[in-house]
Amino acid sequence: MRKKSLVLFLVLVAAILVGLLMAETLVVKVQTTAVRKSPKFYAAVVKTLKAGDRVEKISVQNDWLQVKTSDGLTGWLHSSAVQSGKVSLTASDQSLKTGASTTEVALAAKGFNKQVEDAYRAQRKDLDYTWVDKMLRIKISEAELEQFLKQGRLAEFGGGR
Amino acid sequence: MKLKKKLLALSLLVLCFIWLSSCATVEKGVVDTLAAQGKISEKDKATILKTTEALRSTFADITEEEEYYIGRSVAALVLSKYRVYDQAELTAYVNRVGQAVVSFSSRPETYAGYHFLILDSEEINAMAAPGGFIFITRGLLKTCQNEEMLAAVLAHEVGHVAARHGLQSIKKARLMDAFKLMASEAASRLGSEDFQKLVSVFDGVLGDIVAVLVERGYDRKFEYEADSLSVKFLAQTGYSTAGLAEFLEQLKKETPAAGAGAKGWFRTHPLPADRLERLNRVSTASAAATASMPVRTARFQKMLQLAN
Repeated sequence: MRKKSLVLFLVLVAAILVGLLMAETLVVKVQTTAVRKSPKFYAAVVKTLKAGDRVEKISVQNDWLQVKTSDGLTGWLHSSAVQSGKVSLTASDQSLKTGASTTEVALAAKGFNKQVEDAYRAQRKDLDYTWVDKMLRIKISEAELEQFLKQGRLAEFGGGR
Repeated sequence: MKLKKKLLALSLLVLCFIWLSSCATVEKGVVDTLAAQGKISEKDKATILKTTEALRSTFADITEEEEYYIGRSVAALVLSKYRVYDQAELTAYVNRVGQAVVSFSSRPETYAGYHFLILDSEEINAMAAPGGFIFITRGLLKTCQNEEMLAAVLAHEVGHVAARHGLQSIKKARLMDAFKLMASEAASRLGSEDFQKLVSVFDGVLGDIVAVLVERGYDRKFEYEADSLSVKFLAQTGYSTAGLAEFLEQLKKETPAAGAGAKGWFRTHPLPADRLERLNRVSTASAAATASMPVRTARFQKMLQLAN
């Protein structure tokens, strides 16, 4: 009887351990994102993350996730910036150590990527990407966004979320 | 004793299941690492990658980064048909309205974020390339009479991006070809035959999307979905949801007579009256949003002078 409960206990511990490992890790899937002090886009930035970085989920509030970064900082991330972590039981997390995102590593060789774009552009010399790159550089800062919402009585400053 | 064996078997089964389910989602990067460390052979690596690539089958399997690269070239193709209206202050304003709506949308984060550009055309038109490259013509800007209308149009475009409507215009067979090629080891070698094939599939993908954005327009169900997302995002941002209905009323007035050669939104979108009919069933503006409108209308009108 004692042996039975011991086995049961071990199975339970193993299941919980594996469950914890699998459920809590999230991987950043966008180029860069920020862990913020509170769950809103104009909140102060705690830490900037890049594609492939991993965080641990602590709690959920609407579309926002409270997370812990690899260096122990906590803050809020929007759920659209991450996907659930794909835990491999065979390999420790290499991306955290190398700094290269796992998607970047894989897609350096495959998929629609920079190499494919370059080859396409070599065929379409008539296409001009100057404004595409210019528009990508347009950035609205946290302070600017907050000021704009405040002045327009939007979001929490008016009738929004 | 029997019970113990059963329990052991059961626990093994549970562990196997967990192991398998984690294997199914093993990342390519991890596979590369394992191969580099000599833990698995190159042949195993190829097999594993092939299996994971073969699992990709629909638009939903296109990664954020791939969506970004598709979007970049779609944007370049749109810009080959229009001139940019290069007015920094007005562009910044459009980006602020856009970013406000994006922040309260269902998908505020994309690979490289949302960016808005004004096209120098009197035609009434707005388009969104996958990933968040959003274009609005000067003609459409001038059709708007207040910030709510502009926010409604931008929110409609953000809705197309959020729901990945552009990616859903890619022909299914073409997407399958793409995934198959991406699974091939050879396609990763620049200049290989498979790589060249992948580039021509990329060309085809762009053609599918641009044809819909510029020529044919989305399926009506996507337009109605973008309208309802627009109303939702407006409400969450704190804008009056009446913005979209007001804009459509304005559009109705400007709809060219039948046979007059529809352009821009008139060509690619359902009739404003049909869209209005569906909208009126869902939207009522909040009192708070309506009350604060004058502040926003004032800043809009000041900015709009820059569109002339």
